[in-house]
Amino acid sequence: MVKVRIEGLKKYFDKVKAVNDINLEIIPGEFVVLLGPSGCGKTTLLRCISGLEIVTAGKVFFDDDNITYLSPKDRNISMVFQNYAVWPHMTVRSNIAFPLRIKKHSQSKIQEKVAWAASLLGIDNLLDRYPTQLSGGQRQRVAVARSIVMEPKVLLMDEPLSNLDALLRVRMRAEIKKLQEKLKVTTLYVTHDQVEAMTMGDRIAVLEQGVVQQFGSSNEIYHNPVNTFVAGFIGSPQMNFIEVEIVNKNDKLYLTTKGLEILLLDIFKERVSRLSDKRKYILGIRPEHIYVASNKPVEKVASIRGKVYFAELLRSDTVIHLEQKFGLLGIKAPGDLKVEEGKELEALIDLSKIHLFEKDSHKAIF
Amino acid sequence: MNSQKIPLLLRIRPLITIFIVVIILIWFLTPLVLITLSAFASSDDYYQFEKVIPTHFTLHHFESLFFGLEAWKAIINSLSVAGITMLLSFLIGLPAGYALSRYVFPGKNFLKLLCMVTKMFPLMVLAVPLLIIFMRIGISDSTWGTSLAHTAMVLPIIILIFSSILSGVSVEYEEAAMIFGLSRIQAFFHITIPLVLPGLAASAIFAFNISWNEVFVATILTLTNRTLPAHILKTAMASPDYIKFAAGFIMAVPAMVFIFFVRKHLVTMWGISLK
Ligand SMILES: Nc1ncnc2c1ncn2[C@@H]1O[C@H](COP(=O)(O)OP(=O)(O)OP(=O)(O)O)[C@@H](O)[C@H]1O
Ligand SMILES: [Mg+2]
Repeated sequence: MVKVRIEGLKKYFDKVKAVNDINLEIIPGEFVVLLGPSGCGKTTLLRCISGLEIVTAGKVFFDDDNITYLSPKDRNISMVFQNYAVWPHMTVRSNIAFPLRIKKHSQSKIQEKVAWAASLLGIDNLLDRYPTQLSGGQRQRVAVARSIVMEPKVLLMDEPLSNLDALLRVRMRAEIKKLQEKLKVTTLYVTHDQVEAMTMGDRIAVLEQGVVQQFGSSNEIYHNPVNTFVAGFIGSPQMNFIEVEIVNKNDKLYLTTKGLEILLLDIFKERVSRLSDKRKYILGIRPEHIYVASNKPVEKVASIRGKVYFAELLRSDTVIHLEQKFGLLGIKAPGDLKVEEGKELEALIDLSKIHLFEKDSHKAIF
Repeated sequence: MNSQKIPLLLRIRPLITIFIVVIILIWFLTPLVLITLSAFASSDDYYQFEKVIPTHFTLHHFESLFFGLEAWKAIINSLSVAGITMLLSFLIGLPAGYALSRYVFPGKNFLKLLCMVTKMFPLMVLAVPLLIIFMRIGISDSTWGTSLAHTAMVLPIIILIFSSILSGVSVEYEEAAMIFGLSRIQAFFHITIPLVLPGLAASAIFAFNISWNEVFVATILTLTNRTLPAHILKTAMASPDYIKFAAGFIMAVPAMVFIFFVRKHLVTMWGISLK
């Protein structure tokens, strides 16, 4: 188990700032997920840690060793590449055995390890095939198997489950997580799938344009997003963003816009009282924190009425888009709810679960 | 059950393919067969024109060619020149092609263009100055001199071929090997070379054949240490026709034998084809 520390890491490709001043400290044995949209620099960050990319500036430490300029082969890491990089001229067996063979393990040890990794990933019946005779998902599993036979210091995985079908993905998610807990290997796991991030990561680093926006547990990231980007990126359907003003009426603070008036609960008051009310703010409400009036589970709510513009029936739940003066409001309701498009509906906003952001800086106030 | 007829075109398509293949084979093999037959025909049979297929065979022509005209020396010369040419063009061409395929550096396109430009000058223009230079440094009329000249001829093309072959191998294959404990050079030999073997084999044939068949430079640069084509041009062409056929035969055979041995690498291996 090693601690991975990244200090002021930058990687520029000419003018493209793929990684722009990243600082991370990863606890030994931790499972950290790098989450972000396509092109935000996840792969580049991983490649900098692996040594395949020479950094523009900054340092990478394993424990207290500065390994910024150490060659990849001496770092004792392994990696699952986004495009698998399973060698086409070797059988699956040789591919998985390769890292062991390089490190000169005994033949019996190699056989035992290969069999173990292959059965773990459910590819034991494919060992004598060549990669071209495999499907994308099978190749991906070979890549994962190859990465775990060595028991590396640090395990880097670049979207290792992206090509699996939904069922297999859920199973593999659990397998990888369990395996990581057993091996206790410090792991950086890249994905752009938030469910994967939420379920697997001890902590999640949300990346955007080469910068870490927030680094914390899934709980923190979901409940206390630091800015509108994180708030909007996490959660499905997306958080509702509504431009509001802060209004003081009879010593009570309200967040208002056309057709909406939301009372600020006392728990938020202190944060807001210091703000000047001339500025613009963005109110954030998650669709799952708005309830349809008929099944109201909480106390302090704001009621809002509107016509159903569109309802997505996912059967497990129903996503309702409610017409409002300020735009559409997304609501996540139970799947058994009967909704008709065009009909009027009353919805209740849970006042204790709202978020407020500064409009200019996009930073969270609460 | 309603049976369905396979359309006529689909049914006769294999026949058409076979037909075309046969035509192509005849086109290429007829001269080869004629040369072979004539090379072994006894001189009596050879001069009987109504006898298309000779009935009496002899090795006499080869004997006089090999020993009377001393072609055996020329064959050894040719083999060493072609061998050295191949070796040199691989030694220089592989790193050069790798650099062109893997790295971005200033002047890269200019270098590629330069490789093409070398093919613009006719050999006649270069041969005489080359001879003078070789005489000065004392490598004229030697195997090495001819090899160097041949290497210079094939190298530009070989570099371009190698760079394109190596570009066909994803960098990630090498990078994966580096992650799992190899240095860049080891990764090149363990991973990349096996992957491009078919292409390398084809390139080897190419280099070998260019050198084996090259006659102009070889004739000018050498006097006593002639390669086979230069030697034949000088001696066999002044001999009876059946000697010429024997000469043609030994010109063709080594190339064919060589191709036979590397042939299996030409067929795409492991079900992959490298563009
Ligand atoms: N070798 C390179 N040369 C130039 N630009 C590059 C290079 N590699 C990556 N980039 C750029 O750097 C940025 C980050 O790329 P990166 O591959 O790290 O994204 P990513 O987060 O892994 O995306 P994805 O989820 O699509 O894999 C992108 O804008 C990309 O175009
Ligand atoms: Mg990527």
